[in-house]
Amino acid sequence: MQTLDIISINIWNILISLVNLLIIFLILKKLLFKPVKKVLDQRQGQVGKLYDDAKTAKELAEKEKEQYDEKLAMAHDEAVEIVSAAKERAERMGDEIVDEANRKATGMIKRADEEIAQQRKKAMNEIKEDISNISVDIAEKVIEREIDERDHKELIDKFINEIGEDDE
Amino acid sequence: MRLNQKTKHKIVDGLLICMMILPLAAAIVIKVLTQPYSEGMNITGALIFLEIPMPFQPLLITEAQINSWLVMISITGLCLFLTHGIKAVPDSKRQHIAEMIVEKVDSMVRENMGEMFMGFSPFVAAIMALSAFSSLLTLIGVFPPTSDLNIIAGWAILVFILITYYKLKGGLWNYIKGFGDPIFVMAPMNVISEIATPLSMTFRHFGNVISGVVISALLGSALSGITAKLPGLLGQIPFLKIGIPAVLSLYFDIFSGCMQAFIFASLTMIYISTGFPGEAYEKRMKRKIERAKKKEEAKRLAELEK
Amino acid sequence: MELAIGLILAGCAIGAGLALIAGIGPGIGEGNAVAKACEAIGRQPESAGAVRTTMFIGCAIAETTGLYGFVVGLLLIFYAPKAFINLFIETIGKIG
Repeated sequence: MQTLDIISINIWNILISLVNLLIIFLILKKLLFKPVKKVLDQRQGQVGKLYDDAKTAKELAEKEKEQYDEKLAMAHDEAVEIVSAAKERAERMGDEIVDEANRKATGMIKRADEEIAQQRKKAMNEIKEDISNISVDIAEKVIEREIDERDHKELIDKFINEIGEDDE
Repeated sequence: MRLNQKTKHKIVDGLLICMMILPLAAAIVIKVLTQPYSEGMNITGALIFLEIPMPFQPLLITEAQINSWLVMISITGLCLFLTHGIKAVPDSKRQHIAEMIVEKVDSMVRENMGEMFMGFSPFVAAIMALSAFSSLLTLIGVFPPTSDLNIIAGWAILVFILITYYKLKGGLWNYIKGFGDPIFVMAPMNVISEIATPLSMTFRHFGNVISGVVISALLGSALSGITAKLPGLLGQIPFLKIGIPAVLSLYFDIFSGCMQAFIFASLTMIYISTGFPGEAYEKRMKRKIERAKKKEEAKRLAELEK
Repeated sequence: MELAIGLILAGCAIGAGLALIAGIGPGIGEGNAVAKACEAIGRQPESAGAVRTTMFIGCAIAETTGLYGFVVGLLLIFYAPKAFINLFIETIGKIG
């Protein structure tokens, strides 16, 4: 079999190798660079999307946090209000209770006074009767005279009544 | 028969690996079948398998052509293998490798040529892959296509065409004016230096590879010569040839081959990007846009007149 | 006739040997380049990667001149003798 010289130039071989390089260029472009670039772009897109998602999630979280803070502040205010209202009411109620107790106490004292007065009246009346009876007895004994009992009694009653009136 | 996705994937993988390895095996088989018996040192060019008559020169199908086609098939298989089952979320090592290759080449092109020439990255990768794989064929004992002048001359001429094309983008007059650069007397020198670009690229790569081949052949014949002089049974077996050439092959085949591939690619990038007249191109583009605008305006005026 | 062919072969061999003198230049140049690169790396170890790549490219380009000599030497050994002897025989035949 023949061999080429170690340094030999053949136009067709040069042309073939030129075309070979072009073919390899196309093969690499279509089979290696295109899919890899596509995948890299895809990944870039995914990562970008992830970042966007994270960003929106963060924004949302911050918004929610703000809302919560607001709510918390509001709740604090409310609580203060509630406490102050409760305090106020409690004070008012206490005042009321004290007032009522006072009123009740004065009422009770009044009633007790009235009762005392009534009892006294009652006692006075009893005493009057007793006195009249006793005085009748005493008078009978003292005078020992048969008086018309009816006249007598009238006299004494008159007398006692005068005493009672004087007393009052 | 129904196959689930995983087995299908694995079968395709196996086929692609076969596509990568079989061409290399075929190259070895062809080498074994066609190697002529020779004694002593033989440094020759590629074997000629077929001669097809064509104008100017007969078209020769040589060992170098066959081997470079086999390398191309192998590279195609490698590309398919690396990008097989590629996903947005990587789950395999080969996808990382593929992405690393693409990103490395892209960053190299961006550094050396700029953002405008990003379309060149597959071309640069193609030069590197073809050159490196062709040079590394010596590792399996096959005729490396890069030690044939024609192969590298083809690449260099393609690069030269690209350089000239990008130089012409600044306008024909700009290109012609570039030859009389400091003064018009220098024009012949400039023409020579222009032609010297592909020549120097060719001979640089070719010389590196062929020097490796020649020195390996010299060493091989020297070692077999030494063993033949040894007495007795020792002289029958060329045992010195076993380990020693591997050391040289480490430098000449692996280091020099990869280095030359890298240098050819980076020289391509540098020549194209430095030869490209950026300012003139921008001016020309501006003028073109202005002209187009004027034309549109004239058209509008004509329509209005109607 | 034989003498002439012998002269041609001798001339080719001597020419090839002389062509390889071209290896001196790149040797000195590359040595210089590597020395400077070593200095640069010593001065700025952090830029070692960039210096190394640039040095390799520069070395490879500087090697070109040596390789021209090598290619010429190859031509003189493998291509020139045949061509020159053929030329010689043709011219002899024409004269004769």
